[in-house]
Amino acid sequence: MTVTIRSRRTAMAAATALLLAGSAACSGKAGSGGSGSSANGSDPAAGKTSYTLTADTGTPKGDLDSFTWSIFAEPPSLDYTQAFDYPPNQVLANVCESLLRWNPDLTTSPGLATDWKNPDPKTWVFDIRPGVKFHDGTTLTADDVVASLSRNMDPNVASVWANQYRNVDKIEKTGPLQVTMHLKSPDSTFLEYMAASPGTVESAATLSADGKDYGGPAKGVNCTGPFAFQSWQPGQSIVLKRFDDYWDPSLKAHSKQVKFTFIGDPTARVNAFQTGEVDGGWMVPPGSYAQLAPNVYFGKSTTVADEVVSNLSGPLGDPRVRQALLMATDRKGIINAGDGGVGEIADSLVTPDNWNNAPDAQKKAGTTGLPAYPYDKAKAKALAQQAGVHGQQVVIATSPLDTQTTIITQAIAQACTDIGLTPKIDTISADKYTALFTDPAARKGVDLFLTFWYTSVTDPLDMYSSLETGAYSNYGSYSNKDFDAAFEQAVGSYDPATRAQATQKAQQIALTDLPWLPLYFEPVSVYMGSKITGLKPSIDYLYYPWAAEIGAK
Amino acid sequence: MKLTHLVWLRRVGAMVLTLLVTSFLVFSSLYLAPGDPVAFLVKGRSPSPDQLAAIRHQYGFDKPFLLRYWDWLGGMLHGDFGQSYQLHASVASVIGARLPSTLLLVALSTVLIVVFGVGLGILGALRKGKGVVVLVTVGAAVPSFTAAIVLRSVFGVRLGWFPTVGTGSGFGDELHHMVLPSVALAITFMALVTRVTRAAMLEELGREHVEVVTSRGLPRAAVIRRHVLRNALGPVVTVSGLLISGLLVSTAIVESAFGMNGVGSLLVTSVDHMDFPVVQAIVLLVVAAFVVVNTAVDLMYPLIDPRVRAAT
Repeated sequence: MTVTIRSRRTAMAAATALLLAGSAACSGKAGSGGSGSSANGSDPAAGKTSYTLTADTGTPKGDLDSFTWSIFAEPPSLDYTQAFDYPPNQVLANVCESLLRWNPDLTTSPGLATDWKNPDPKTWVFDIRPGVKFHDGTTLTADDVVASLSRNMDPNVASVWANQYRNVDKIEKTGPLQVTMHLKSPDSTFLEYMAASPGTVESAATLSADGKDYGGPAKGVNCTGPFAFQSWQPGQSIVLKRFDDYWDPSLKAHSKQVKFTFIGDPTARVNAFQTGEVDGGWMVPPGSYAQLAPNVYFGKSTTVADEVVSNLSGPLGDPRVRQALLMATDRKGIINAGDGGVGEIADSLVTPDNWNNAPDAQKKAGTTGLPAYPYDKAKAKALAQQAGVHGQQVVIATSPLDTQTTIITQAIAQACTDIGLTPKIDTISADKYTALFTDPAARKGVDLFLTFWYTSVTDPLDMYSSLETGAYSNYGSYSNKDFDAAFEQAVGSYDPATRAQATQKAQQIALTDLPWLPLYFEPVSVYMGSKITGLKPSIDYLYYPWAAEIGAK
Repeated sequence: MKLTHLVWLRRVGAMVLTLLVTSFLVFSSLYLAPGDPVAFLVKGRSPSPDQLAAIRHQYGFDKPFLLRYWDWLGGMLHGDFGQSYQLHASVASVIGARLPSTLLLVALSTVLIVVFGVGLGILGALRKGKGVVVLVTVGAAVPSFTAAIVLRSVFGVRLGWFPTVGTGSGFGDELHHMVLPSVALAITFMALVTRVTRAAMLEELGREHVEVVTSRGLPRAAVIRRHVLRNALGPVVTVSGLLISGLLVSTAIVESAFGMNGVGSLLVTSVDHMDFPVVQAIVLLVVAAFVVVNTAVDLMYPLIDPRVRAAT
């Protein structure tokens, strides 16, 4: 249920593409990395096509006084109930902690809860870690957990994570360090979300004292993580300082301070990396991968670029046409041209890593033997001809958000033409594009649009929940009874094997019906300058205290 | 009541009326924009009807349009610009935090525009060479984002003379950070002022009375200062005033390019996120700046040209 809209990555929408192109031409360094060039010559300016995932960048030689990290936008708030996007989450991950911890290898382990039990399918009992200090020196108790989690259910708070609490009836304290949650119906994903923002614990006293100002620039937050909030200069930076009473010695911060600076313009960010004004940052603009090599690292991710079919009653209503469209899409070409060659063609709407919590056999079954749609224009054209949609118009909505978006849209339009449809690219402003994800009226007359969709937990169900009949982000109003039944069965099963099998079934149906067209897996990218090391690149940076591991190189 | 007082009253009245009409236009036009601000407030999540109602109420979307405008206007008069939808703070503090760096940028650019624009214009009129003309033609053709890219990569990344992002801390550091952005912002405007100054000077130089005073043996410097420059200043001041009041709007691109997060880039992100209260406040700020600068220009006329003073 996590959407990456990406309009925020590039506020200066129109100027961005120009700036990006301009900097490639202006800033002298030639592409240094990448030996294996692409086969068909449709290679991007970046010139780098080979990459490897790095699990660990090394052990720090020593501690640091401070390092500077860039974010592509200022967080709107540090309130965890509003934290759904890269900017707030990558800061909060180091300051606030959840009941469970999401690790760099995308497994989960105990966090502020040491243990949890499931005495019956509708009850979860959490034992809270003793002796944990908040940044103001007070000690964590069950009251803090009850107050923090309950906020997600308060309509006045309007938590962006309210949906994850839809099956929760009541949260109560059942001991000084024990909290019990009563569900309305069994929900196997609920526990997973306790490793993400929905499981965040804040001091109950701080929540009631700060009221409406909680999480804003003046008050900040008071949590239990390895870094404490120090200051927030609106429009400029957020500074965190090391918390010396942190409970977990293995994640005690190597740096006394971290300064997050907000740099929206991608080229400005790249320049700041090059001049050393900034030591690092997540989400490196793909056009600069080669330029910044070898300081760019790639890590595990749960992000898939998808073309969402938002109108299932138009020419794309016939599953054969959707299959044909995917078959006619040059996905390898998209990865090379749009993402500097970094990515893998996706045969599923989730990455293989989404299956990390499933038993090995189920993981294998969930990631292999899926319906495949290899690039084959002739076959695609024949398939579309059977459906008799020749000459019909398909509207593709796009926005000049970044170069990837533009390149992918062109490729999809080309694929439409190749199977006999008439593509019409509708270029809209960034805010209108964002509205496609939230406003059914904005989607009217639009057949296709692009999204980079990541899951916030290691579970395919986080993504597949969007395809259930009537789901909020079921943008094409897709409805398949067999899919719904399999999905519901998966959510309701606590047995990992049963659940994985039901998930697999839902996935098979989705990949045959293709209400969304999977394009490619996108790894996490991060730049780390020559002064720092220790980071473990992974999408878990949205919830794991990654900055604590960074030290001197 | 003296005549000048009446003129003043009329000016102030016109200013207030301009602001009022603008405020209504700005307020209403934003509500005509596509999309629903609530959609942005829920950020793509699945809100329950209860939550949606709570959000609508919290931000006053459930009130009728005119009442919302009235509340907003009343708040403004009390110095309360409302609460930002996007950022967790009051509009006044959101803008206040970003205003100093933008004002410094605009001030530095103004100095560059006036000093170099007028200076080069005079030089171009007095020298026969084509150098200035070529410079002006090139300068006027360079959009500020192109200038920003080139300046940044040459003087920031390659030579390392200036920082490429941020605003710095402490006055000296802030000035250091502001050099490249203000040059990038000023270039086009500078070229336009140079062109206008040169043309006005050339026109005055060709006037009969200049030839007369020159033939009478008055020193050339005095002729230029008293008879050419003074008469040429009218159009120069008018154009400079217009350009300088437009600077505030033009800061967006330069601020984004140099990662400055000033009022200009705030305006762009706020529009992007339908953060109405912030957009409204910035637009009003810009309109106020226009009105103030143009009034200042009006008031400068009599100082430059005594004949204007006699007429009012």
